[in-house]
Amino acid sequence: MRQQYAIRSLFLIFCFALAGLSILAQMIRIQNSEQASVFLSQGDLYAGEFRTFYPERGLIYDRNGYLLAGNRTVYEVGVNLSDLNDPESVAYSLSVHLGLTYDEVYNRLTDFPDTWRYVVIQDYVDADVVASLQELIQQMKDVGDRRLNGIAFHPHFQRSYPEDTLASNVLGFVARDGRGYFGIEEKYNDLLAGNPVQVWVPSDPNKATEIPRVPNGTDLALTINRDLQARVESILDDSLAQYGAANGAIVVMDPHNGEILAMATTPRMDLNNYNAYFSLYDNGSQYNRVVNMAYEPGSVLKILTMAAAIDNGTVVPQTTFLDTGSIQIGGAVVWNWNRDSWGLQDMTGCLQHSLNVCMTWLSTQMGPSVFYGYMERFGLGRRTGIDLADEALGRLKTPGDSDWYIVDLGTNAFGQGVSVTAMQMLMASSAFANDGKMVTPHVLYSMLRDGHQYNVPSQHGGSPISAQTARTLNNMLANSLEAEASSALLPGYRVAGKTGTAQIPTDYGYDPSKTNASFIGWGPVDDPQFMIYIWLQQPTSSPWSSETAAPVFSKVAEQTVILLNIPPDNVRLALSSK
Amino acid sequence: MQVTQIIHAYKQAPWRVQRQYTGAFLLIVIGIAMIAALYLMVSARAAITGREIQSLRDEIIVTRRINADLEARIGDLTSTSAMQQRARQLNYRPVLPGELEYLAVPNFFVPEPAILLAAQDTTEFERIVPPEYTQSLIEWFDERIRLGGAQ
Repeated sequence: MRQQYAIRSLFLIFCFALAGLSILAQMIRIQNSEQASVFLSQGDLYAGEFRTFYPERGLIYDRNGYLLAGNRTVYEVGVNLSDLNDPESVAYSLSVHLGLTYDEVYNRLTDFPDTWRYVVIQDYVDADVVASLQELIQQMKDVGDRRLNGIAFHPHFQRSYPEDTLASNVLGFVARDGRGYFGIEEKYNDLLAGNPVQVWVPSDPNKATEIPRVPNGTDLALTINRDLQARVESILDDSLAQYGAANGAIVVMDPHNGEILAMATTPRMDLNNYNAYFSLYDNGSQYNRVVNMAYEPGSVLKILTMAAAIDNGTVVPQTTFLDTGSIQIGGAVVWNWNRDSWGLQDMTGCLQHSLNVCMTWLSTQMGPSVFYGYMERFGLGRRTGIDLADEALGRLKTPGDSDWYIVDLGTNAFGQGVSVTAMQMLMASSAFANDGKMVTPHVLYSMLRDGHQYNVPSQHGGSPISAQTARTLNNMLANSLEAEASSALLPGYRVAGKTGTAQIPTDYGYDPSKTNASFIGWGPVDDPQFMIYIWLQQPTSSPWSSETAAPVFSKVAEQTVILLNIPPDNVRLALSSK
Repeated sequence: MQVTQIIHAYKQAPWRVQRQYTGAFLLIVIGIAMIAALYLMVSARAAITGREIQSLRDEIIVTRRINADLEARIGDLTSTSAMQQRARQLNYRPVLPGELEYLAVPNFFVPEPAILLAAQDTTEFERIVPPEYTQSLIEWFDERIRLGGAQ
């Protein structure tokens, strides 16, 4: 009997083992069969998807935290063709809401390759348009009407500029290709944009943590003071109208650290409508004239010549020069701006009356190697390194260049035959306001990323002159402005500065009827906290800088001291003496 | 010969030996079943948590988008032109230099701009990975024992 049970048990064990082994064998067979790869690929369809993550572009703020460039949500409106029930109804609704023609939408919904599963109808659709469409779809669904099935909305970001045209020349813009053009947007494009990442996003929840974090672009804070920028732009626009100038530029810089506080040029464009670029500008150099366009500055460059001569020991402020109204150099005759002779002048008088003859004399006294050595140390013919896109180089011809002649030594000394950008002039002149040390201008104040703030340190741009020379020039320029009761003066504040009126070179020589009017100035003289550059192109009310650019300087300086809380000299000195 | 007899005298009955084997086998089966059940439970919890992570990530994306929109909206409302318009409506006008009075305030420093203080460390959130993804089964057991089965 026991033997019989044992046999039955063994039989049962054998049967179960056989069944188990059969299942195991079948599993192995299926997994290694020809169809296995098909099943696996079918399974992979649902295992996840490749998705490209576009990080949010970094925001741009002014130095006080006001948003200058942000992002807002727009939508790509499309249709999932497999869910499409009624092409006519969908085409009608989308055409009405998106401003397209019915035929255009209908053709896209009905005429497409077999492999397509999705059709884009329109991109960059505003959120409010999408909201009204979504409301309509929901209303129809609520009553069981499925005719609008298939319409899909895919949100993404679009650059948004709340200030419209303000500081447009500094910011640049982002086109639909996601790339920054001009200004900060181009210069820091890689930093702002972040890196788009295409990743496999698994449906398997156990692999949820395998999805990499896509960090947003870095936020930037600029040195620009939004309120000052607005005032400066307003003054520039008013000045162009008042003096009949074609275009212009104004820059306000902190001469101690090179921070650009305001930078205005014309024309400016609404950054939210960047298609206007093509109607506003003939070429890229017009986008930001301060940085992208070099020009012959005229007499503002005389301060560099005088600084070189004093620093080199060629002259002292009291050195006298007998001005006869003209001077010969390299076979050419150089005249004063009014062709008058000004008689005996000291060096302050040479600056005050802006005497070309005196400057030519100074450069010849120094000689080419000394004069051009100083000009190169002041950074002429070299980019300043400002962090804005497409900075122009300017041109400083030097001995040895095929197109340099001895007469250039004379004309370069008063700003003719040499081209600079307004930014180069500011950087060079920062030496006067900073004890002989130049600073590299910059627009980026700090980078903000992952809770950390990285401030941009000020950079020393060289020391072309001594501190003593800088102080001497400061006083000479302040005295010359006061002596001529310049319209650049600002009541309550001692300022230094220099006008510059330059004829405009053409292919046929200098145009006698058109000028560039410039002014560079800074203050307060004993502790300069702002440096301002004015450039008016072709003013028609008067060709002279003293009657156009100089009063503009005064207006800008007035707003600057108000907005930067710089008290009048007597108040400041009284407060500091306490 | 004597030795064989003693062994026979103390040898367990075959059915008892069979039961011991069966018992041991069942014990192993039950053990495996328990581990399998535990594994299943942990896997299920991990899956649920993973799904929550997925949905939270989607929420983060939506929230970030809303934040960006709100920030852009605030930018619009506080833009220079909007603020100037509001100031004019409230009968304000730009101050003139002669109207300003300067006062010395001891120990006053111009505060840092708000934006420079408000930068958030977004990586901090990413570091919070659920323990289900980092614990081994033994560590999970250990934690359960230490917590006394409490959730």
